[in-house]
Amino acid sequence: MKNPPALEHLVESLRCLPGVGPKSALRMAYHLLQRDRAGAASLASALQTALNQIGHCSLCNNFSEEPVCPLCSKGNRDPSLLCVVEMPTDLLMLEQTHTYHGMYFVLMGRLSPLDGVGPREIHLDRLLKRAQDGIVEEIILATNYTVEGEATAHYVSELLKARGLKVSRIARGLPMGGEIEHVDSGTLAQAMMERRAIK
Amino acid sequence: MAAGSIARQDQQPVFVLHTYPFKETSLVVEFFTRDFGRVAAVAKGARRPRSAMRGMLQAFQPLQATWSGKSELRNLHSLEWGEGLLLLNGEALMCGFYLNELLLRLLPREDAHEALFSYYTSTLRALAAGGEVAPTLRRFELKMLQELGYALPLLEDARGEAVAPALEYLYVPERGALREGEGQSGVQLRGKTLLDMAQEDYSDALTQVQSKQLMRTLMSHYLGDKPLYTRQLLMDLQEL
Ligand SMILES: [Zn+2]
Repeated sequence: MKNPPALEHLVESLRCLPGVGPKSALRMAYHLLQRDRAGAASLASALQTALNQIGHCSLCNNFSEEPVCPLCSKGNRDPSLLCVVEMPTDLLMLEQTHTYHGMYFVLMGRLSPLDGVGPREIHLDRLLKRAQDGIVEEIILATNYTVEGEATAHYVSELLKARGLKVSRIARGLPMGGEIEHVDSGTLAQAMMERRAIK
Repeated sequence: MAAGSIARQDQQPVFVLHTYPFKETSLVVEFFTRDFGRVAAVAKGARRPRSAMRGMLQAFQPLQATWSGKSELRNLHSLEWGEGLLLLNGEALMCGFYLNELLLRLLPREDAHEALFSYYTSTLRALAAGGEVAPTLRRFELKMLQELGYALPLLEDARGEAVAPALEYLYVPERGALREGEGQSGVQLRGKTLLDMAQEDYSDALTQVQSKQLMRTLMSHYLGDKPLYTRQLLMDLQEL
């Protein structure tokens, strides 16, 4: 027996979600249509609204309903500092620390050489333009300490330094409360290599 | 399948070549293993925030992996750090991605290449140590082609005569060095370049240029039409 075309179409559409195969898509569709039709209606309208209203902030490239997002238009941030992160969640984490008061640029990804994700996909041209507004003095690279995040940081820093800008990279090392005995040897090796003098 | 037929391999020396997402919380890991060649395995739950494997599934680090299964996708059970960590930075890091892309494209699955594994390890060490990357890459490319059965004749020309340093040749994939006038399309180079490559001596500037052209042509010959992502990425970066 075949499912009605509209149901088939819904299942196909749900499969665009990451990690959702045919089986889980079918389960989701049954759930939405049978158990939670109100939830389904709200999901449908939320999706439509988000698609219509959410774009990218012209300054930080984060998702925004306005041409310039609230964080970028707040007057109380230091415009001479620009922190580059991979994803919006990284920005939220940094904000939670209450230690950084500059501006941001969200790449919405990272260079991933073996997946074919290059400078175009992560809007490096927009970052270069943003960093050269004449007000930004230091760019802080807060991409992940994965091989892809490191490659991204390297190439972004080369491009920015070639344009006479000051670039720094967030530090890595032992975690807060970290005991050497229990830390992984990768972190420990890096911490040893990037040791600093005590002033 | 009987339980006894599940081949379990304990603490095998491996490198991660690449990972990609699999189902909701897992990863498929492409390993380069010392004793089994290229092996793919599922790292279950490796994308969960608290996964113990998550931070270790990084390319360019010597690891020890334990897996089981006989199908094309093994099950990865555990990972440990191997001997001596490698810290690749900047340009060396991109060279590492290039090596991994070559291995992913040219190394067939489940085909053991112990010598190539050991050469890959020492190449990563050379890259991590810093210094000029071009000679290191040329040596690896040559060694890899050799190990995969595409060894290039460097000391003799296509007729079987000794390569003369001062003569100009046309190097044609699968045929070797042709004397001028013997062929039409190929990489133009002088005999000295081939002899230098055989000696692993890349100190001469012209040898560097010509060996790069030669290896690029040979690599495209063996890779086919699909270009290398790592090369495309470097070209795109130059345009910015
Ligand atoms: Zn913004």
